Amino acid sequence: MITVVKPGMQMSIQDQGRTGSRHLGIGQSGCIDPYAQIICNRLVGNPDNCPVLEITLGLAEIKFDNDYYIALHGTDMKATVNGNPIQPGWSYYIKKGDVLKLNAARHGFRSYLAIGGIWQLPTPILGSYSTDLTAKFGGLHGNALNPGDSIDITPQYKTKIGLGAMLPPKSTHIRVYEGPHNKLLSEQSIDKFINHSWHISPSSNRMGARLSSDECKLEHALSLPSMAVMPGSIQLPPSGEPIVLLNDAQTTGGYPLLGTVIEADLRHFAQLKPGDFLHFEFVSLNEATKAQQKLTSHLNQLKIALEYKNKQ
Amino acid sequence: MTTYSSPSITVLTTHCIYFDVSHSEQTILETQKKVWALAQLCQQSGDFIDVVPANNNLTLYLNDPLRLQYWLSALNEHWLEVSLLKFNSTHHKLPTRYGGVHGPDIKHVAHYHNLSVDDVVQLHSSGTYHVLFLGFQPGFAYLSGLDKKLYTPRRSDPRTSVPKGSVAIGGEQTGIYPETSPGGWQIIGHTDFKLFDINAPSPCAFAPGDTIEFTIKEVLS
Repeated sequence: MITVVKPGMQMSIQDQGRTGSRHLGIGQSGCIDPYAQIICNRLVGNPDNCPVLEITLGLAEIKFDNDYYIALHGTDMKATVNGNPIQPGWSYYIKKGDVLKLNAARHGFRSYLAIGGIWQLPTPILGSYSTDLTAKFGGLHGNALNPGDSIDITPQYKTKIGLGAMLPPKSTHIRVYEGPHNKLLSEQSIDKFINHSWHISPSSNRMGARLSSDECKLEHALSLPSMAVMPGSIQLPPSGEPIVLLNDAQTTGGYPLLGTVIEADLRHFAQLKPGDFLHFEFVSLNEATKAQQKLTSHLNQLKIALEYKNKQ
Repeated sequence: MTTYSSPSITVLTTHCIYFDVSHSEQTILETQKKVWALAQLCQQSGDFIDVVPANNNLTLYLNDPLRLQYWLSALNEHWLEVSLLKFNSTHHKLPTRYGGVHGPDIKHVAHYHNLSVDDVVQLHSSGTYHVLFLGFQPGFAYLSGLDKKLYTPRRSDPRTSVPKGSVAIGGEQTGIYPETSPGGWQIIGHTDFKLFDINAPSPCAFAPGDTIEFTIKEVLS
């Protein structure tokens, strides 16, 4: 068992989310950086889609009531176990009674904690253990974790310990495939969207990253029939401040879309915190496919390397 | 003779296609019936993770991006075929308590249209409504079929909490709140009919294309 002593700003149980129910209004949820989730799971010998804890900003504390293999990934929160520093991207052996403390993230926003073993959670909902923080279901009780919450995890020690793996590099340069409504919006608006830097506003959350810019706004008066939206859809409300929808987003929306963040770059939003700047570039489908293949091959290489290390 | 303007088919990303027929010359409902049939055909193909109908459009999420080109070229043909498909849907009857504590805005709606509360209840409960699509929150159905005489603007001051099961009117639409949530629609009644239960094998009572009617359980003053 593990117990949350302090959840920090937000700590929730996430896996890769649920699919197949978008037509019922049920969103995806899941880790904003699925690669961090997969990699830290592999480091502790878990299957790729095993749940992890998604920890936002840090200032969190977790107590372990068994011996476990653990690995953190995502941003560096200057973690310590019983006061001794541990590094993100490496697996560690934790003893019963140990306490993991996370300080505040300085260069990113989210960290992922994998714990080796079988997570004894309530029955998965529509194939996923992810917490849907908006609709309030999944996870432990449909909410972010609170102080005192315990998760029953049966430990397994299925890999070698002391393994490390890097994440693909992070970036604030976000590649976008052009949207279906760009002919309806003015050319000037589209140019401004691409040529300006945007910063993440404080009202952002797992539903969406709200963007603003001191120099530019893209006001419009378009009203469109509702259409499906997904993580990565860039909505433009009449206020002119774009919203990049993330994992807890609703399934339909009526604002024009500026485009869709390519799948390979969506993970960068896990590390963008309020005040951070980002900029966009339109790319071709071919480039989106290549970026995706690069990530897939990163994971394939890791798989081969881990199999080799574990055999040694 | 009905004519169809050709659909607009756009790629949203490597594994996602947007099929838009909102410029069709037919009514929203007639076009939507074909959208449901096309959605059903796509779902049965096994090529998609998700198939999401919305307001006279359909978004398709592919399992395998390599099937993108095939579907881009096949969709037009399927669109012409689907008018011949029989679409399976379910009809739901929702026993509803109108007015009183269950419908705090029904008097406002009646007053707004110069009708009696009974007129509002009769007009609302005599309609057959189509579930155009679901969205906004899990299980929330966008319904077509509200009588024009009941079109009522949303409240200027949205409520912070609308009880689960509330039956309400917002502009040209009527709907039921699947969960307690904030909301700005005019609440005219309440139904105990369970729209959404996350622990049920199929969590949503409605699917796009279903029809519903509100039956009068009680009218409170």
